[in-house]
Amino acid sequence: MTKPLFAGALALAAAGLLTASAARAQDLVFLSTQLRPIEEAQKVREVILKGAPKTTYVVDEPSPFTVRMRAEQEAGKKTVSLVGALHGELQPLLTFNALDPIDDVAAKVASRGIPAGLMELGKLGSGKQVYIPWMQATYVMVVNKKALPYLPAGADVNALTYAQLAEWGKALAEKTGSRKLGFPAGPKGLFARFLQGNLLPSYTKSMVTEFRSAAAETMWGDFKAVWAGVNPNASSYDFMQEPLMAGEVWVAWDHVARVKDALQQAPNDYVVVAPPAGPKGRAYMPVVAGLAIPKGAPDRAGAVALIEHLTKPETQVITAAEVGFFPVVDAKLPADLSPGVKLLAEGVARTQTAKDALVALLPIGLGDKGGEFNKVYFDTFQRIVLRNEPIRPVLDAQAEVMRGLIDATKAPCWAPDEPSTGPCPVK
Amino acid sequence: MTGARRLMFWSGVAALCAWVLVPIYLIALGAFGGRAAAFRWPKAFTLVNASLEQLATFLRIEGVWNAALNSVIAASLTMALSLLLGAPAGYALARYRFRGAGAFRLMVLLTRAFPLAILALPLTVVFIRAGLYDTPFGVALVHTALALPFAALVTAGLFAGIPRELEEAAWVFGCSRLQAFMRVVLPLALPGLAAAAIFAFVISWNEVFAASVLTVRNRTLTAYLLTVLAESPLHYRFAGGFVLIVPSVVFIFAVRRYLFALWGVSNR
Repeated sequence: MTKPLFAGALALAAAGLLTASAARAQDLVFLSTQLRPIEEAQKVREVILKGAPKTTYVVDEPSPFTVRMRAEQEAGKKTVSLVGALHGELQPLLTFNALDPIDDVAAKVASRGIPAGLMELGKLGSGKQVYIPWMQATYVMVVNKKALPYLPAGADVNALTYAQLAEWGKALAEKTGSRKLGFPAGPKGLFARFLQGNLLPSYTKSMVTEFRSAAAETMWGDFKAVWAGVNPNASSYDFMQEPLMAGEVWVAWDHVARVKDALQQAPNDYVVVAPPAGPKGRAYMPVVAGLAIPKGAPDRAGAVALIEHLTKPETQVITAAEVGFFPVVDAKLPADLSPGVKLLAEGVARTQTAKDALVALLPIGLGDKGGEFNKVYFDTFQRIVLRNEPIRPVLDAQAEVMRGLIDATKAPCWAPDEPSTGPCPVK
Repeated sequence: MTGARRLMFWSGVAALCAWVLVPIYLIALGAFGGRAAAFRWPKAFTLVNASLEQLATFLRIEGVWNAALNSVIAASLTMALSLLLGAPAGYALARYRFRGAGAFRLMVLLTRAFPLAILALPLTVVFIRAGLYDTPFGVALVHTALALPFAALVTAGLFAGIPRELEEAAWVFGCSRLQAFMRVVLPLALPGLAAAAIFAFVISWNEVFAASVLTVRNRTLTAYLLTVLAESPLHYRFAGGFVLIVPSVVFIFAVRRYLFALWGVSNR
């Protein structure tokens, strides 16, 4: 039995080797770290790339993505013609010189109406266009309508404060018997983004400089009160759409793409609102994904054509409708959006246009230290809120770690911190 | 057997079966129960509104079949290579005394001591230069390196358990060394070799990291699905989990009689 099995396996393998590598070898490879979940990747292949040059759409998680790009760069043989990734994921590629300057493409898409600020981000501080903005998103709060009757007196769900959120969570826990607030604090959740992009800037108008200020101390005190109303399972939540759909959580904060399913499933059950505000404003974090061309791409012309296709207003609108990432170009969303995406669009609009809105950018210039930067926030949260350690000493200790990181990368301040000449100071 | 002992025997059997079957049953339930059932709590233990839809959607995903083929190729190659290289090493360890045999036993395990994540970059560079990048064969080579220690050590134990006297008797009756091996040792060793083969197959089938870094177009099924599966809605995870389990179960089922023989139950 073993011998025929081997022979069969070998024959199969040989046949497979020949056919598999010959197939699809001509298409342009579009490698993306975004739109990875199966349903979204399918949408990209079947809907968004319709009418574009023939493309093989491949997805990678961020860490294999960097390894692959680096390996292809070092070996000098490229398979990937176009990459789509977040601002922060494209930055490291520039450090090992794997990206082709694309000022020519920038000129071609100039008429699309991409805001100058976004185009500037696409230079990654190098003076040349490195990526073309592709789509954007942000983080919002999703509220199950069942939670609305328990809102504290006088609170407006569209203009919550952190104090009101804490009160609301308490009321929900008392009236329903279980804690109904939720944050994605699981291993793959984006909770660190909440801490650095929403919570801290709302109290301090800073992500780095005021990390250990008195205002930050107040903030952690307030947030402990919020956490008393957060479902204890939060440390296993990665995507908030699941606990929302299961009814385990009624009020959740997450990335728009990670709550979309819940909204698509039951658009009548939810409202989408801006994150809460603190004393310094309603901070939110816009997320930008960009398109870049690797140096020595096998099909640069095809990649340029693909960028043109993806930044067309029509394609941008389709992208918003199908996967819930919003246009970077001047495009009007159609009235007949699916109800779930419409909810999201409203939530994003409420966030961006809130009177007290305060933009907190994704960390810039940290290179591969981005993960450690997130860990500083998460560790601080863990020590203060989960382990109940005294706030002041923890902030002092973690501020040292943060200073070490910033000094090592020499990253200058980014919004909402005031611009700095040297590395961003941690006061 | 007395009544009480019989009861204990059968409850033990039931517990062991449940240990394996209940999780698989729950996954199947999720895979066939539709989107709503995946989120319902408490879970229903029977199938209401069974639908093949999500499984069908899953199998319609572009590239799934190609990825499945790649997985089968890589796993089969891994199985073949690790046995072809591992079994002779195991035989040598079992039959010959040589200097450094103990050290070799230990060293062979060291291939598992290096985390792939650290090796990934240089490995990928070498693979690109050697033209192995993005081929199932390249993936199989890495998986063979991972499976080889098990193959060598499992087969060493196996050959050591087959009395040398049987082989010597075959020599006395005129067999050459090779003939003695093929006619006497190999048939006795088959069940163990099957076990080693299953190990290799499953290691390759389940490995994600190397498979996803070393391929772009020609991904294995696990690399193609598993990384994205973790971020997909629950009902898709069930469908995907089901699709990933079935081939391993089928494979193990196919070689089961060799396994039973290994555990002292006669061939049936």
